[in-house]
Amino acid sequence: MNSSNSASGAVQTGDGMNRRSFLRASAVLTTGLAALAASLKPLMELEDFPTAERFMQKYYTELTPTEMDKVLKRIADETEAQYGKRPHVRDLKPMDGVEFAYCLNLTRCIGCRKCVHACVKENNQSRNPEIQYIRVLRLPHGSMDMEKAEHHYNPEKVPEPGFFNMPVQCQQCKNPPCVKVCPVHATWTDTDGITVIDYDWCIGCRYCEAACPYWARRFNFTKPFIPKDKLNPEMAYLGNRPRRQGVMEKCHFCIQRTRDGRYPACLEVCPVGARKFGNVLDPSSEVGTILRTKRVFIQLKEELGTSPRFFYYFDV
Amino acid sequence: MNQNTKITVVVGALAVAFLSLAAGFWANAWGHQEAREEIPLVDSQFNTPDTFRQSYAELMRIKADLSDFDCYACHDKGKPPPIRYDKNHNIVVPQEHAGSIVMAHGSHDRNNLCFNCHDEQNLELLQTRDGKQLKLFESTRLCGSCHGPTYRDWDAGVHGRTGGFWDAKPNQERTRLNCVDCHNPHKPKIPGRHPAPPPHMLHPVRQVEHATTH
Ligand code: HEC
Ligand code: HEC
Ligand code: HEC
Ligand code: HEC
Repeated sequence: MNSSNSASGAVQTGDGMNRRSFLRASAVLTTGLAALAASLKPLMELEDFPTAERFMQKYYTELTPTEMDKVLKRIADETEAQYGKRPHVRDLKPMDGVEFAYCLNLTRCIGCRKCVHACVKENNQSRNPEIQYIRVLRLPHGSMDMEKAEHHYNPEKVPEPGFFNMPVQCQQCKNPPCVKVCPVHATWTDTDGITVIDYDWCIGCRYCEAACPYWARRFNFTKPFIPKDKLNPEMAYLGNRPRRQGVMEKCHFCIQRTRDGRYPACLEVCPVGARKFGNVLDPSSEVGTILRTKRVFIQLKEELGTSPRFFYYFDV
Repeated sequence: MNQNTKITVVVGALAVAFLSLAAGFWANAWGHQEAREEIPLVDSQFNTPDTFRQSYAELMRIKADLSDFDCYACHDKGKPPPIRYDKNHNIVVPQEHAGSIVMAHGSHDRNNLCFNCHDEQNLELLQTRDGKQLKLFESTRLCGSCHGPTYRDWDAGVHGRTGGFWDAKPNQERTRLNCVDCHNPHKPKIPGRHPAPPPHMLHPVRQVEHATTH
């Protein structure tokens, strides 16, 4: 090995280059560059390459109202370019004096999965691959053993004799393990109790997914696919605006609806009225009444100390 | 080998390497962007707020055919239809009504008698046991007259379903379903239904055989 030799050789090359060898070398070089470009093609297919604007965006809580307006406009522009429909994107803040809770009556639920699909439709979830925030479990009567849970059941008719059903989605914990592990604070709990995700801040490390004991977080391994005519244009920044490949998402109690005073989509379609939602700080609310009057409650995996805002109950 | 040839060889080799990479991507040799299995979009019956049945009030609202409710098209005013029973003292629903009515109210058919609910003097009305007359679309109060605790739950929004706004403010309406939007008054037990399709896996997996492995 003689490094000094090759170093001096490099200098010589420049000197000794004649027209013919230059042409030959450059022809090879052009081919080489073209080949390089072609081999980079998969990179170019990443249409979701961050724009400078998105890349430079500040942390959610540091955005001034004018800056937020710009961000919302950018999101509307991007969505319109992609889906051919201009959405109405809002940044909805938690309301004063409101803390949300969800109560789900397991005596009523029949496992029909209407909530799952109403949620997909409302929240612009990918149809292929499928992303679903709600997973409906089927358990044998008298058991709360998650090992025995099955979520691919598909009988002719539900409910099935000998089983009960339990829909599981983000439990909006008071003490959420997912928030603690996020290295970039892209997920946090707001004052109304909703744990939100800033899809522009998420780096897709999936720590939160691993930390969640309820399997409630979903990762976009690929670019989400939503048919253009199925896009729900009524959107919120921390809610159902379209996500990109490589970010986390999960149930956010339909922020775009609930912070506007409406019931979440899963509740609106439940044919048996098993789902109840509202402000726990208001004792006359539906959830207030249920928590006061019903006798048997279950907080899923409460031994973990997560303290869910999602209550399962039985009629007795 | 002189310096120029060396460069040509190196660049040439690189070109060949990149070309084969490009060819590889183009031919999808690593199966990366493999066409995904088609997933049919879910039937819209699974994401609309439809209930189990359409009540009289709902049929009125959508201006559907109401001929079933036109009692005096067939019956005579002032002549209550006689109730017929079979040998076991069960009510026999006459042919003309058997198309839309199956009587099975309560686990032991405890409330099958037509005139527990319908007013025999005026078939177009309902009647509670304490003699209060109600219009056909006011049936929720009829149900409440026998199902007190359930009615109280319903009134508080706990039984049944309330839609619209949880935050009751002016201009923010709530809609509370009536009993007969879900329950058939004649056969109130909620029937079974076909579930929406189960989730599709990202990667199809072998069917796990729970039964045989345990
Ligand atoms: C298509 C014609 C038709 C209409 C409309 C109709 N009925 Fe009847 N209904 C009959 C006939 C026929 C019978 C059996 C003959 C009889 O005894 O009068 C009957 C019998 C009855 C009976 C006795 C049932 C029994 O078990 O014997 C009741 C109660 C009754 N009808 C109520 C009503 C009410 C209430 C309405 C309106 C909401 C109504 N019907 C509308 C044709 C009709
Ligand atoms: C538990 C109370 C109750 C009993 C018992 C009852 N009905 Fe009814 N019936 C109703 C109510 C409430 C409606 C209106 C339903 C709606 O809003 O959809 C109705 C509707 C009807 C109608 C018109 C709609 C249709 O489905 O054809 C007929 C006819 C009728 N009843 C006949 C009868 C007959 C005959 C009997 C006895 C065999 C009977 N009902 C027993 C409560 C009752
Ligand atoms: C005259 C009294 C009376 C009226 C009015 C009445 N019910 Fe009932 N209902 C009963 C009785 C009695 C039972 C049986 C309870 C039992 O078996 O323990 C029953 C049972 C039921 C059940 C349970 C059914 C089951 O098989 O589990 C439902 C649901 C119900 N009623 C709904 C209604 C609705 C909806 C209305 C109004 C359209 C109504 N009831 C009006 C007396 C009434
Ligand atoms: C959103 C639909 C819905 C509405 C509205 C509704 N129910 Fe029910 N109800 C159910 C379901 C589901 C059950 C579960 C039992 C079943 O399978 O029949 C039930 C059960 C019942 C029972 C049996 C006892 C129990 O609690 O399990 C009674 C009685 C009853 N309902 C009465 C009423 C009355 C009275 C009203 C109106 C004041 C009403 N329901 C409104 C869906 C509804």
